[in-house]
Amino acid sequence: MKRIARAAYYIALWIVALIFFAPVLWIFVSAFKSKSELLSIPPKWIFTPTLQDLAQTFHTNLFLRNLINSVSISFIAVVIAIVVSFLAAYSFSRYRPRGTDFIMFLLLSIRMVPGAAVIVPIYLMYVAFGWTDSYVGMTLFYTMFSIPFSVWILKGFIDGVSVRFDETVLVSGGSRFQVMFRVILPQIKPGLVAAFIFNIIFTWNDFLVDFIVGGKDVTTIPVALATGLYTSLGVDWTYIASVALVYTLPLIVIVFFFQKYLLVGMTFGTVRGEV
Amino acid sequence: MKRLLKVLSVSLVSLLVVAAFSFAGGSKEAAAMTSQGGRVDLQGKTIHMTILGIGGWIPSRLGVEMAPIFQKYAKEKYGYNAEFSYQDAPFTSLYQKAATSLATHSQEFNIIISDSQWLGALSNAGWILKLNSLIEGNPTLSKTQWWDPIVQESYQSYPDYSNELWGLPQEGDVLVLYVRKDLVDNPTNQKNFKAQYGFDLPSTFEEYSHLTMDKYIDICKFFTRPADGLYGVAIQYSKEYDYMTGSLYPFIWSSGGQIWDYKTNAVWGVLNTDSNAKALETDVSLLKYAPPGDVDYGIGQVLDAFTQGKVATAWQWAAEGSGMITPQLEGKVLVVPLPGFMVNGKFMQVSSLGGQPWVLNKFNDPAHMQVAKDFMAWWYLPQTQMEFVKQGGNSVVKDVLDSPGFDNIHPWLRAYKYELTTEHSRDFWHVPQYAQMLALQQEYFTGYASGAYHDAKSVLDYIAAQQQKILYDAGISKIPPPTNIANIVAH
Amino acid sequence: MMDVLEVNERAAGGKRGPQTFRSGHPRLSTQNVARLLIVPVMLFFVVWNVIPVLWMVGLGFYQYSLTNPTPPKFVGLHNYLSLANDAGVWWSFGRTLLFVILSVGIETALGAALAFVFWGSVRLPGRRLALTLLFAPMVLTPVAAGTFFKLIYDPTFGVANYIIQVLGGPKVDFLGDAHLAFLSILLVDIWMWTPFMILIGLAALGSVPTAELEAARVDRLPFHRTVAHVIWEHGKFVLILGIILRTIESFKIMDLPYLMTSGGPGNKTEFIAITLYRDAFNNFMMGKSSALALITLMTAIAFTSIFLYVLHYQRERKTI
Repeated sequence: MKRIARAAYYIALWIVALIFFAPVLWIFVSAFKSKSELLSIPPKWIFTPTLQDLAQTFHTNLFLRNLINSVSISFIAVVIAIVVSFLAAYSFSRYRPRGTDFIMFLLLSIRMVPGAAVIVPIYLMYVAFGWTDSYVGMTLFYTMFSIPFSVWILKGFIDGVSVRFDETVLVSGGSRFQVMFRVILPQIKPGLVAAFIFNIIFTWNDFLVDFIVGGKDVTTIPVALATGLYTSLGVDWTYIASVALVYTLPLIVIVFFFQKYLLVGMTFGTVRGEV
Repeated sequence: MKRLLKVLSVSLVSLLVVAAFSFAGGSKEAAAMTSQGGRVDLQGKTIHMTILGIGGWIPSRLGVEMAPIFQKYAKEKYGYNAEFSYQDAPFTSLYQKAATSLATHSQEFNIIISDSQWLGALSNAGWILKLNSLIEGNPTLSKTQWWDPIVQESYQSYPDYSNELWGLPQEGDVLVLYVRKDLVDNPTNQKNFKAQYGFDLPSTFEEYSHLTMDKYIDICKFFTRPADGLYGVAIQYSKEYDYMTGSLYPFIWSSGGQIWDYKTNAVWGVLNTDSNAKALETDVSLLKYAPPGDVDYGIGQVLDAFTQGKVATAWQWAAEGSGMITPQLEGKVLVVPLPGFMVNGKFMQVSSLGGQPWVLNKFNDPAHMQVAKDFMAWWYLPQTQMEFVKQGGNSVVKDVLDSPGFDNIHPWLRAYKYELTTEHSRDFWHVPQYAQMLALQQEYFTGYASGAYHDAKSVLDYIAAQQQKILYDAGISKIPPPTNIANIVAH
Repeated sequence: MMDVLEVNERAAGGKRGPQTFRSGHPRLSTQNVARLLIVPVMLFFVVWNVIPVLWMVGLGFYQYSLTNPTPPKFVGLHNYLSLANDAGVWWSFGRTLLFVILSVGIETALGAALAFVFWGSVRLPGRRLALTLLFAPMVLTPVAAGTFFKLIYDPTFGVANYIIQVLGGPKVDFLGDAHLAFLSILLVDIWMWTPFMILIGLAALGSVPTAELEAARVDRLPFHRTVAHVIWEHGKFVLILGIILRTIESFKIMDLPYLMTSGGPGNKTEFIAITLYRDAFNNFMMGKSSALALITLMTAIAFTSIFLYVLHYQRERKTI
C-alpha cells in the first residue's frame, strides 16, 4: 500500500512539473511546425517536423551576431557584478563599515524602479557620454543591475563562514587577499552560482534597455525577437518559436546542471549542506 | 554618514557636469548644415549609408535591397561608391527608435522611413531636413508628378496642407477590402444570398466600389457561419499603435464626418458629432460578424484570419497584399475599395491612408547628405519605380500608375490606385503631439469596442475634449477645451 | 560577531599602528581595507544609480519635451500637481498595486504549498529533470512568452479555448474581454513566477535544521505545530526575502501586458510601468515621466520597507 501511495505521490509531482512546463513545450514544438500547422485548431500533435524554418532562423536577421551579443553582454556583466559584489560583501560581512545596513537597503532600492523610469535619465546620461550603442555602456548597466542581488546573497553566505577561517590564515601570515580568494570563495560556491543564475536570467531576457540605449551594434535577442515579430506575412510564429527554443535552452541546461548549488544558494547562506 | 555625504556631493557635482553637457547639445547642429546649391564632390570615395525602416516590412526593405542598382548608378554618374545597410525596429516602436536616436543628433540613421503622422514631430524638433530646395533644384524630383495631390498632403507636408515639404513618399498605402472571390462567385452562395437579402451578391470590382455599408453588413451576416468556422469579416480593434483608429476612420469619413478641422486645429465639436458616434457604433457592430477574439486583432491577426480561411472579407492594408494572398489563395482573392455611405443622396467613400514617407536626418555630414539626396533623386526615376512595383512595393508616381498593365501586376493595385485620391482617402493629423493624441483615443476607442464604455457619444466627447486640451496646451490650437472638461467622462 | 581584526589586535596586545608581517608588506589599516573593498560597488552605485535618480528628481521639476526644440522650462511642482489631478494615473497605480498583491500573494501561497509537496521527494526518479522543467517558465524570454500566450488565449487560434470547448464550455475571449483581461495576464504571471516561489520555498524549508525536525518528529509534534514553531522560525527569513524580491519585480511589470494587450482593452491592463513608458517614449515628455517615476520609486520603497522591517524585526527577535 505504501508503495502505491509513494508511486502516486511521485506521479503527482511529475504531473505538476509537466503542467508548468507544458506552455514552454508548446513553444518549443512550434519551432518545428509550419505556420499553418501552428495556427490550426484542433491543435496538431502529429505533424511532419520541419527543420527548415529553424535552420532559416540561423541564417536570417543577423541571428548569430545577436546571440553572441546577448550571451557575451549578459555573461560579462554578471561576472563583473559578482566579482565586485564579492569584495563588497566580504567587507560588509567582516568589517561592517558604518552604514552597511543602509547601503544594503539602498542597493535593493535600485531594483525597485520600473525599467522605463530608470532608462530615461540613463538614456540622457548615455547620450551625454556617447555610450549609446556600445558594448561598454550596455554591459556596465547590466552589471549595476546585477549587483544588489549578488551582494545580498554573497553577504549571507560569507556571514555563514566562520571567522576562524580568516583568523587562521591571517595569523599564519597570509594576506587578506588570500583569505578572500583561497579560503572564503571556495566555501560560498552555492551563493556564487545562485547569484549568477538569478542575475543572468534577468540580463539575458531584458528588452527595454537594449532597445532604448542599444543600437544596431549591440542588438540582443529579445530586441531582435520583437523586431522580427511581424513580417509581411503576418506574425512570424515559427521564427519566435525557433528563437525562443534556441535562446531558452542554455538557461534550462544551466539550471539543470547547477541545480544543487542553486537550491542551496537561494537559502541566502542559512544552509551550507543539501536542500 | 560622513562617507555618504562625500559620495552624495561627488555625485551632485558630476550630475551638474553631465546636465550641462546634455542641455548644451544643441550646438552640434551647426556642423551639419549642407550647402544649398553646390554638390559635394565625392569622387573616388566610399560612403556607408544606413536606412532605418520597419521590421519585417518588405516595401521598407526594398530601399536597401535595390541599393546595388543605385550603387552602380552612382558610380557611373558621380564616381563614388555607396554602400547601404538596413536597420529595423518593430513597427509599433519604430518612432521610439528613430526619435531617441535623432534626439542625440546622431548620424546612426542617414535616411529614416517614418510614418506619415510623424512628420510634425520630427520636423518640429528640428531633426529632419526640409526638402523644398532639394525637390525644386533636382531635375528628376521637380518633374516627378504624383498620382494625386493627396500624396503631397499626406507624405510630405507639415503643417498639414501647407507647402512645407519634409518627406518623400517611400511607399503609398491605403486600407482596402480583401474579398474571397471563390466564396462570392459560388453559385449556391449567390442563390441563397439573393433569396435572403433581395439583391445580388456583389462579385466584381465595380459592384464593390459602390457598395453601401448596410449592404456590406448583410454580406458579412451571410458569411457568418460559426459552425463551419467561417465569419463575415476580420477588422482591427487592437489598442496597439494605430490599429483600431486606422480601421475606424473610414467609417467616420465615409459618413461625412471629420476628425478635426485642419485650418483651426479644432477637435472639439468636430470629432464628437452624433454622426461620428453612429460611425463608431457601426464599426464596433461588425464584431458580431468577426471571429471571436477579433476585438484584439491588429494587422498580423487579420492576416492570419484571412489566410487561414476563417473570414470572407478583411479590412487590410494594400501593402500587405503579398502576405494576404498566399499561394493557396492565389486567384481566389478580389481586392476592392472599402464600403461607403450615402450622404445627402451621394455615395461617399473615404479610406484611411497609410504608407510611409522617408525623411533625411538633418545631422548627416555633407558627404552622407549628398548621397542621401542623390539616392532620393534616383529612387523616383521611372525605371527605379517600376522595379519597386515589380518587387512588391506601391509606387505613387503618376507615370508608373498610369502605365499600361499596371493594374495587373498585383491583384491589389487596382483598388490601391482607385483609393489613393483626395476623394477616396485621408490621413491622420501630422501634429507633433500625434503620439499623445493617438494613445489617448486608442485607449478609449478600444474601451468602447470591448464593452468597458457603453455610450459612443460620451467616448467621443471625452476624446475630443482631451485632444483639444493637448493641442491648446501645446499652442497648436487657439481654441481652448470646453470649460466643463472635468465633467466630461466616458461611460 | 566580533571583528576579526579586533581579535588579532587583542592577541597582539592592543592597538598599534601598521604592522609588518614576515612577508614584508605593510598592512593597510582596517578602515582603509574595508572602504577599498566597497569602492567598486559604490562606484557603480553612484554612476548608474545615484546620478540617474538625482537627474530624474531634477527633471521632474522641468517641462522637457524631447521632440520640442525649446529648452527645458522650470515649472516647479506643476508636473506633480497635474499627476495628482490625473485620474488615469491613480487608476494605474491602484491597478498595479492590486496586481502586485494578487500575484505575489497567490504565487507565495501556491509556491509554498508546492514546495511542501516537493520537499519530501529527494528520491523522486528524475528529480533534477522534474525540477528543471518546473523552473522553465522563469527562464523563458518574456517576448516569446507574451506573444505565444496571446496566441494560446486567442479564441479562434488558441489552445486554451480548444481545451475549454472539449470540456464543453463556451468560447472565452481572455484578452479582449474587459472583465477578463486583467485576470488573464495575472494568470500568465502566476504561471511564470510560482516556480520562483517554489524555489524560495524549497530553500526556506531546507534552511530548517534537520536536528530540530528530528526532535519535532521524535516528540510527535502535530504537523501544524511543527510548521509554526520549527519550520516558520527558521524558514521565514528566506521566505520573506523571496517575497520582497518578487514584490519588487511584480511592481515593475511591463513586458507581458504590453505585448499581450498594449495595456488594453481600454485601460484594463494599463500598469504604472506602461504609463511611464508611454509618457517617456511615446509622448517624449521627459519631465512628466520623471516626476511619475519618482513617485513610483517612493511607492516601491515604501512597500518594500514594510517587508524589510518585518524581516529585520524577525531577525532581531531571533538573536535575542
